[in-house]
Amino acid sequence: MRRAVPVLLLTVAGLVPLWRFEARPASTSGTAAVAEAPAGARTVDGELISTSEGDVQVRVVYSGDEIVAVQMLKQPDSGPTRRAVPILQEETLRAQSADVDTVSGATATSEGYIASLQSVLDGRG
Amino acid sequence: MRRVEQVMGLPISVDLVDREPELADAVERAFAWLRAADARFSPFRADSEVSRLDRGELAEDELSPDLAEVLGLCSSYEEATGGAFTARLPGRGLDPCAVVKGWAVQRAAGVLADAGARNFCVNAGGDVVTAGSPGGGRPWRVGVRHPDLADRVCVVLESRDGAVATSALYERGQHVRDGRTGLPARGLLSVTVVAPDLTTADATATAAFALGADGVAWAAARPGCEVFAVDSERRVLRTPALPVAA
Repeated sequence: MRRAVPVLLLTVAGLVPLWRFEARPASTSGTAAVAEAPAGARTVDGELISTSEGDVQVRVVYSGDEIVAVQMLKQPDSGPTRRAVPILQEETLRAQSADVDTVSGATATSEGYIASLQSVLDGRG
Repeated sequence: MRRVEQVMGLPISVDLVDREPELADAVERAFAWLRAADARFSPFRADSEVSRLDRGELAEDELSPDLAEVLGLCSSYEEATGGAFTARLPGRGLDPCAVVKGWAVQRAAGVLADAGARNFCVNAGGDVVTAGSPGGGRPWRVGVRHPDLADRVCVVLESRDGAVATSALYERGQHVRDGRTGLPARGLLSVTVVAPDLTTADATATAAFALGADGVAWAAARPGCEVFAVDSERRVLRTPALPVAA
Protein backbone atom coordinates (compact mmCIF):
# COMPACT_ATOMS: atom_id res chain seq x y z
CA MET A 1 0.00 0.00 0.00
CA ARG A 2 2.73 2.42 0.98
CA ARG A 3 4.70 1.99 -2.23
CA ALA A 4 1.56 2.46 -4.27
CA VAL A 5 1.15 6.12 -3.30
CA PRO A 6 4.13 7.54 -5.25
CA VAL A 7 2.97 5.62 -8.32
CA LEU A 8 -0.44 7.23 -8.10
CA LEU A 9 1.03 10.68 -7.61
CA LEU A 10 3.28 10.22 -10.62
CA THR A 11 0.34 9.11 -12.72
CA VAL A 12 -1.74 12.13 -11.79
CA ALA A 13 1.23 14.48 -12.09
CA GLY A 14 1.74 13.15 -15.60
CA LEU A 15 -1.77 14.16 -16.61
CA VAL A 16 -1.82 17.66 -15.15
CA PRO A 17 0.38 19.27 -17.84
CA LEU A 18 -2.04 17.98 -20.43
CA TRP A 19 -4.87 20.01 -18.93
CA ARG A 20 -2.66 23.03 -18.55
CA PHE A 21 -1.74 22.73 -22.20
CA GLU A 22 -5.28 23.68 -23.23
CA ALA A 23 -5.72 27.45 -23.12
CA ARG A 24 -9.49 27.70 -23.33
CA PRO A 25 -11.56 27.23 -20.18
CA ALA A 26 -13.28 23.88 -20.01
CA SER A 27 -16.17 22.57 -18.01
CA THR A 28 -15.78 19.59 -15.76
CA SER A 29 -17.41 16.38 -16.82
CA GLY A 30 -18.56 13.88 -14.23
CA THR A 31 -19.50 11.30 -16.81
CA ALA A 32 -16.19 9.51 -17.24
CA ALA A 33 -17.10 5.86 -17.50
CA VAL A 34 -15.73 3.57 -14.85
CA ALA A 35 -14.95 0.03 -15.87
CA GLU A 36 -16.02 -2.83 -13.63
CA ALA A 37 -13.27 -3.71 -11.18
CA PRO A 38 -12.04 -7.28 -11.56
CA ALA A 39 -13.06 -9.83 -8.92
CA GLY A 40 -11.00 -9.61 -5.75
CA ALA A 41 -9.92 -6.07 -6.55
CA ARG A 42 -10.24 -3.17 -4.13
CA THR A 43 -10.92 0.39 -5.16
CA VAL A 44 -9.86 3.57 -3.41
CA ASP A 45 -11.20 6.94 -4.50
CA GLY A 46 -8.88 9.92 -4.39
CA GLU A 47 -9.85 13.34 -3.07
CA LEU A 48 -11.58 15.79 -5.41
CA ILE A 49 -8.84 18.18 -6.55
CA SER A 50 -9.60 21.55 -8.14
CA THR A 51 -7.34 22.68 -10.95
CA SER A 52 -7.48 25.78 -13.12
CA GLU A 53 -9.11 23.64 -15.82
CA GLY A 54 -11.70 21.93 -13.62
CA ASP A 55 -12.07 19.26 -10.95
CA VAL A 56 -10.11 16.04 -10.96
CA GLN A 57 -10.83 12.86 -9.07
CA VAL A 58 -9.28 9.47 -9.64
CA ARG A 59 -10.11 5.95 -8.51
CA VAL A 60 -7.30 3.46 -8.01
CA VAL A 61 -7.94 -0.25 -8.39
CA TYR A 62 -5.69 -2.55 -6.36
CA SER A 63 -5.16 -6.25 -6.67
CA GLY A 64 -3.41 -7.00 -3.37
CA ASP A 65 -0.84 -4.23 -3.04
CA GLU A 66 -0.52 -3.73 -6.75
CA ILE A 67 -2.21 -0.95 -8.70
CA VAL A 68 -3.96 -2.53 -11.66
CA ALA A 69 -5.84 0.51 -12.94
CA VAL A 70 -6.27 4.23 -12.42
CA GLN A 71 -9.65 5.52 -13.54
CA MET A 72 -10.88 9.07 -13.91
CA LEU A 73 -13.99 9.76 -11.81
CA LYS A 74 -13.93 13.43 -12.70
CA GLN A 75 -11.87 15.11 -15.35
CA PRO A 76 -11.86 18.48 -17.08
CA ASP A 77 -13.92 18.20 -20.25
CA SER A 78 -11.15 19.40 -22.51
CA GLY A 79 -9.73 17.88 -25.68
CA PRO A 80 -6.25 17.00 -24.42
CA THR A 81 -7.69 15.16 -21.43
CA ARG A 82 -9.94 13.09 -23.65
CA ARG A 83 -6.93 12.33 -25.77
CA ALA A 84 -4.94 11.35 -22.69
CA VAL A 85 -7.58 8.95 -21.41
CA PRO A 86 -9.52 7.32 -24.25
CA ILE A 87 -11.97 4.86 -22.76
CA LEU A 88 -13.07 1.88 -24.81
CA GLN A 89 -15.37 -0.99 -23.95
CA GLU A 90 -14.79 -4.47 -25.33
CA GLU A 91 -17.73 -6.55 -26.53
CA THR A 92 -18.48 -9.67 -28.50
CA LEU A 93 -19.32 -9.33 -32.20
CA ARG A 94 -22.98 -10.12 -32.79
CA ALA A 95 -25.02 -10.68 -35.93
CA GLN A 96 -28.51 -9.20 -35.86
CA SER A 97 -31.36 -8.96 -38.30
CA ALA A 98 -32.88 -5.91 -36.62
CA ASP A 99 -35.41 -3.51 -38.05
CA VAL A 100 -33.43 -0.53 -39.32
CA ASP A 101 -34.10 2.56 -41.46
CA THR A 102 -30.73 2.57 -43.20
CA VAL A 103 -27.38 0.79 -43.12
CA SER A 104 -23.88 2.13 -42.63
CA GLY A 105 -21.13 0.12 -44.27
CA ALA A 106 -18.34 0.45 -46.78
CA THR A 107 -20.10 -0.07 -50.08
CA ALA A 108 -17.41 0.75 -52.58
CA THR A 109 -18.90 -1.10 -55.51
CA SER A 110 -22.39 -1.34 -56.90
CA GLU A 111 -21.99 -5.15 -56.86
CA GLY A 112 -21.55 -4.94 -53.10
CA TYR A 113 -24.50 -2.63 -52.90
CA ILE A 114 -26.82 -4.94 -54.77
CA ALA A 115 -25.99 -7.66 -52.26
CA SER A 116 -26.40 -5.37 -49.33
CA LEU A 117 -29.25 -4.69 -47.03
CA GLN A 118 -29.47 -1.07 -48.12
CA SER A 119 -30.69 -2.12 -51.56
CA VAL A 120 -33.59 -3.90 -49.89
CA LEU A 121 -34.42 -0.77 -47.92
CA ASP A 122 -34.21 1.44 -51.02
CA GLY A 123 -36.57 -0.90 -52.85
CA ARG A 124 -39.09 -0.75 -50.04
CA GLY A 125 -40.07 2.92 -50.29
CA MET B 1 -40.11 10.34 -51.22
CA ARG B 2 -37.16 8.09 -51.90
CA ARG B 3 -34.66 8.48 -54.70
CA VAL B 4 -31.48 6.59 -55.58
CA GLU B 5 -28.89 7.71 -58.09
CA GLN B 6 -25.40 6.50 -58.95
CA VAL B 7 -22.98 9.41 -58.39
CA MET B 8 -19.22 9.36 -57.63
CA GLY B 9 -19.31 5.64 -58.39
CA LEU B 10 -21.67 5.15 -55.46
CA PRO B 11 -25.35 4.52 -55.05
CA ILE B 12 -26.63 7.59 -53.19
CA SER B 13 -30.12 7.43 -51.74
CA VAL B 14 -32.22 10.24 -50.33
CA ASP B 15 -35.14 9.35 -48.08
CA LEU B 16 -37.16 12.52 -47.54
CA VAL B 17 -39.93 12.24 -44.95
CA ASP B 18 -41.28 15.80 -45.29
CA ARG B 19 -44.15 16.11 -47.77
CA GLU B 20 -43.92 19.76 -48.90
CA PRO B 21 -44.03 19.75 -52.74
CA GLU B 22 -41.28 22.36 -53.08
CA LEU B 23 -38.80 20.00 -51.40
CA ALA B 24 -38.79 17.74 -54.47
CA ASP B 25 -36.88 20.53 -56.21
CA ALA B 26 -34.37 20.62 -53.33
CA VAL B 27 -33.73 16.89 -53.82
CA GLU B 28 -32.97 17.64 -57.50
CA ARG B 29 -30.57 20.40 -56.47
CA ALA B 30 -28.86 18.11 -53.93
CA PHE B 31 -28.18 15.50 -56.63
CA ALA B 32 -27.08 18.22 -59.06
CA TRP B 33 -24.56 19.42 -56.43
CA LEU B 34 -23.23 15.87 -56.01
CA ARG B 35 -22.77 15.45 -59.78
CA ALA B 36 -21.02 18.83 -59.92
CA ALA B 37 -18.75 17.88 -56.99
CA ASP B 38 -17.83 14.65 -58.80
CA ALA B 39 -17.03 16.56 -62.00
CA ARG B 40 -14.85 19.05 -60.13
CA PHE B 41 -13.04 16.81 -57.63
CA SER B 42 -12.77 13.36 -59.20
CA PRO B 43 -9.17 12.27 -59.85
CA PHE B 44 -10.60 9.87 -62.44
CA ARG B 45 -11.76 12.69 -64.74
CA ALA B 46 -8.97 14.30 -66.73
CA ASP B 47 -10.76 17.67 -66.86
CA SER B 48 -11.54 17.91 -63.12
CA GLU B 49 -10.05 20.66 -60.99
CA VAL B 50 -8.17 18.00 -58.99
CA SER B 51 -6.61 16.49 -62.14
CA ARG B 52 -5.65 19.92 -63.46
CA LEU B 53 -4.02 20.83 -60.13
CA ASP B 54 -2.16 17.53 -60.14
CA ARG B 55 -0.82 18.19 -63.67
CA GLY B 56 0.43 21.61 -62.54
CA GLU B 57 -2.12 23.50 -64.66
CA LEU B 58 -3.52 25.39 -61.67
CA ALA B 59 -1.52 27.62 -59.38
CA GLU B 60 -2.22 27.56 -55.64
CA ASP B 61 -3.97 30.93 -55.89
CA GLU B 62 -6.21 29.66 -58.69
CA LEU B 63 -7.85 26.97 -56.55
CA SER B 64 -11.56 27.33 -55.90
CA PRO B 65 -12.46 27.96 -52.24
CA ASP B 66 -14.14 24.53 -52.20
CA LEU B 67 -11.02 22.68 -53.34
CA ALA B 68 -8.88 24.72 -50.95
CA GLU B 69 -11.22 23.62 -48.14
CA VAL B 70 -11.00 19.96 -49.20
CA LEU B 71 -7.21 20.06 -49.43
CA GLY B 72 -7.05 21.78 -46.04
CA LEU B 73 -9.13 18.97 -44.54
CA CYS B 74 -6.86 16.37 -46.16
CA SER B 75 -3.77 18.07 -44.66
CA SER B 76 -5.24 18.29 -41.19
CA TYR B 77 -6.15 14.56 -41.12
CA GLU B 78 -2.79 13.65 -42.61
CA GLU B 79 -1.05 15.59 -39.86
CA ALA B 80 -3.32 14.15 -37.13
CA THR B 81 -2.55 10.56 -38.23
CA GLY B 82 1.18 10.92 -38.79
CA GLY B 83 0.65 10.36 -42.52
CA ALA B 84 -1.46 7.17 -42.29
CA PHE B 85 -4.30 9.12 -43.90
CA THR B 86 -3.12 10.78 -47.09
CA ALA B 87 -4.53 12.26 -50.27
CA ARG B 88 -1.29 11.45 -52.06
CA LEU B 89 -0.07 7.87 -51.80
CA PRO B 90 3.52 7.22 -52.89
CA GLY B 91 3.70 6.82 -56.66
CA ARG B 92 0.14 7.93 -57.24
CA GLY B 93 -1.65 11.12 -58.17
CA LEU B 94 -3.58 13.45 -55.94
CA ASP B 95 -6.70 11.65 -54.67
CA PRO B 96 -8.79 13.57 -52.12
CA CYS B 97 -11.74 11.13 -52.50
CA ALA B 98 -11.60 10.06 -48.85
CA VAL B 99 -12.51 13.61 -47.79
CA VAL B 100 -14.56 14.68 -50.83
CA LYS B 101 -17.26 12.06 -50.40
CA GLY B 102 -18.26 12.90 -46.81
CA TRP B 103 -17.82 16.60 -47.41
CA ALA B 104 -19.92 16.63 -50.61
CA VAL B 105 -22.70 14.51 -49.12
CA GLN B 106 -22.83 16.72 -46.01
CA ARG B 107 -23.21 19.71 -48.34
CA ALA B 108 -26.00 17.93 -50.20
CA ALA B 109 -27.76 17.42 -46.86
CA GLY B 110 -27.26 21.15 -46.29
CA VAL B 111 -29.07 21.87 -49.58
CA LEU B 112 -32.09 19.92 -48.25
CA ALA B 113 -31.95 21.59 -44.82
CA ASP B 114 -31.63 25.09 -46.36
CA ALA B 115 -34.76 24.42 -48.41
CA GLY B 116 -36.65 23.66 -45.20
CA ALA B 117 -36.39 19.86 -45.01
CA ARG B 118 -36.27 18.75 -41.37
CA ASN B 119 -36.66 14.97 -41.58
CA PHE B 120 -34.51 13.06 -44.03
CA CYS B 121 -31.75 10.52 -44.45
CA VAL B 122 -29.03 10.57 -47.11
CA ASN B 123 -27.03 7.36 -47.55
CA ALA B 124 -23.99 7.51 -49.85
CA GLY B 125 -22.58 4.03 -50.25
CA GLY B 126 -23.00 3.33 -46.54
CA ASP B 127 -22.09 6.75 -45.19
CA VAL B 128 -25.16 8.32 -43.65
CA VAL B 129 -26.45 11.80 -42.75
CA THR B 130 -29.72 11.97 -40.85
CA ALA B 131 -32.01 14.81 -39.83
CA GLY B 132 -34.97 14.73 -37.48
CA SER B 133 -37.01 11.55 -37.45
CA PRO B 134 -38.30 8.93 -39.91
CA GLY B 135 -41.71 9.32 -38.25
CA GLY B 136 -43.43 9.36 -34.90
CA GLY B 137 -40.68 11.47 -33.38
CA ARG B 138 -38.32 8.52 -32.95
CA PRO B 139 -34.68 8.74 -34.03
CA TRP B 140 -33.40 7.13 -37.24
CA ARG B 141 -32.20 3.57 -36.70
CA VAL B 142 -28.87 3.12 -38.48
CA GLY B 143 -27.65 -0.48 -38.70
CA VAL B 144 -23.92 -1.11 -39.03
CA ARG B 145 -23.19 -3.84 -41.55
CA HIS B 146 -21.71 -7.00 -40.06
CA PRO B 147 -18.14 -7.32 -41.40
CA ASP B 148 -18.67 -10.94 -42.51
CA LEU B 149 -22.38 -11.12 -43.31
CA ALA B 150 -23.71 -8.69 -45.93
CA ASP B 151 -27.33 -9.20 -44.89
CA ARG B 152 -26.81 -8.74 -41.14
CA VAL B 153 -26.00 -5.80 -38.91
CA CYS B 154 -23.72 -5.99 -35.86
CA VAL B 155 -25.14 -3.00 -33.99
CA VAL B 156 -28.02 -0.55 -34.43
CA LEU B 157 -27.30 3.12 -33.73
CA GLU B 158 -29.75 5.95 -33.14
CA SER B 159 -29.30 9.26 -34.92
CA ARG B 160 -31.35 12.46 -35.13
CA ASP B 161 -29.34 15.35 -36.59
CA GLY B 162 -26.01 13.63 -37.15
CA ALA B 163 -23.86 11.35 -39.25
CA VAL B 164 -22.58 7.78 -39.27
CA ALA B 165 -19.70 6.60 -41.47
CA THR B 166 -18.04 3.21 -41.77
CA SER B 167 -14.68 2.29 -43.27
CA ALA B 168 -14.23 -1.43 -43.71
CA LEU B 169 -12.68 -4.32 -45.57
CA TYR B 170 -15.33 -6.83 -46.63
CA GLU B 171 -14.14 -7.99 -50.01
CA ARG B 172 -10.84 -8.52 -51.72
CA GLY B 173 -9.58 -5.70 -53.87
CA GLN B 174 -11.34 -3.05 -51.86
CA HIS B 175 -9.13 -1.38 -49.32
CA VAL B 176 -7.84 1.70 -47.61
CA ARG B 177 -4.07 2.11 -47.81
CA ASP B 178 -1.82 3.16 -44.96
CA GLY B 179 -0.05 6.27 -46.24
CA ARG B 180 2.97 5.51 -44.05
CA THR B 181 3.69 2.27 -45.94
CA GLY B 182 1.60 2.49 -49.12
CA LEU B 183 0.29 -0.99 -48.25
CA PRO B 184 -3.31 -1.99 -47.45
CA ALA B 185 -4.14 -0.99 -43.88
CA ARG B 186 -4.21 -3.87 -41.37
CA GLY B 187 -5.61 -4.45 -37.93
CA LEU B 188 -9.28 -3.56 -38.36
CA LEU B 189 -12.12 -5.17 -40.28
CA SER B 190 -14.53 -2.30 -39.78
CA VAL B 191 -14.64 1.02 -37.98
CA THR B 192 -17.76 3.15 -37.63
CA VAL B 193 -17.72 6.75 -36.44
CA VAL B 194 -20.72 8.75 -35.24
CA ALA B 195 -20.19 12.52 -35.44
CA PRO B 196 -22.27 15.69 -35.75
CA ASP B 197 -21.50 15.91 -39.50
CA LEU B 198 -20.48 13.47 -42.24
CA THR B 199 -17.35 15.41 -43.19
CA THR B 200 -15.96 14.56 -39.74
CA ALA B 201 -17.45 11.06 -39.49
CA ASP B 202 -16.21 9.89 -42.91
CA ALA B 203 -12.70 11.33 -42.70
CA THR B 204 -12.28 10.09 -39.11
CA ALA B 205 -13.45 6.57 -40.02
CA THR B 206 -11.13 6.41 -43.03
CA ALA B 207 -8.20 7.79 -41.05
CA ALA B 208 -8.83 5.34 -38.18
CA PHE B 209 -8.96 2.43 -40.63
CA ALA B 210 -5.66 3.57 -42.19
CA LEU B 211 -4.07 3.74 -38.73
CA GLY B 212 -5.11 0.13 -38.00
CA ALA B 213 -5.49 -1.13 -34.43
CA ASP B 214 -4.27 2.20 -33.00
CA GLY B 215 -6.97 3.98 -34.96
CA VAL B 216 -9.74 3.01 -32.54
CA ALA B 217 -8.38 4.95 -29.58
CA TRP B 218 -7.29 7.72 -31.94
CA ALA B 219 -10.83 8.15 -33.29
CA ALA B 220 -12.32 7.86 -29.78
CA ALA B 221 -10.25 10.87 -28.74
CA ARG B 222 -11.38 13.07 -31.64
CA PRO B 223 -13.82 15.78 -30.49
CA GLY B 224 -17.48 14.88 -31.01
CA CYS B 225 -16.76 11.35 -32.24
CA GLU B 226 -18.14 8.04 -30.93
CA VAL B 227 -16.64 4.82 -32.25
CA PHE B 228 -17.64 1.20 -32.93
CA ALA B 229 -14.81 -0.96 -34.30
CA VAL B 230 -14.30 -4.63 -35.15
CA ASP B 231 -10.66 -5.66 -35.14
CA SER B 232 -9.09 -8.47 -37.15
CA GLU B 233 -9.61 -10.83 -34.18
CA ARG B 234 -13.33 -9.97 -34.46
CA ARG B 235 -13.35 -8.20 -31.11
CA VAL B 236 -15.64 -5.21 -30.79
CA LEU B 237 -14.25 -2.03 -29.23
CA ARG B 238 -16.57 0.90 -28.68
CA THR B 239 -16.84 4.16 -26.81
CA PRO B 240 -19.18 4.15 -23.79
CA ALA B 241 -21.34 7.01 -25.12
CA LEU B 242 -22.00 5.37 -28.51
CA PRO B 243 -25.75 5.89 -29.21
CA VAL B 244 -26.77 2.21 -29.36
CA ALA B 245 -30.49 1.64 -30.00
CA ALA B 246 -32.40 -0.30 -27.39
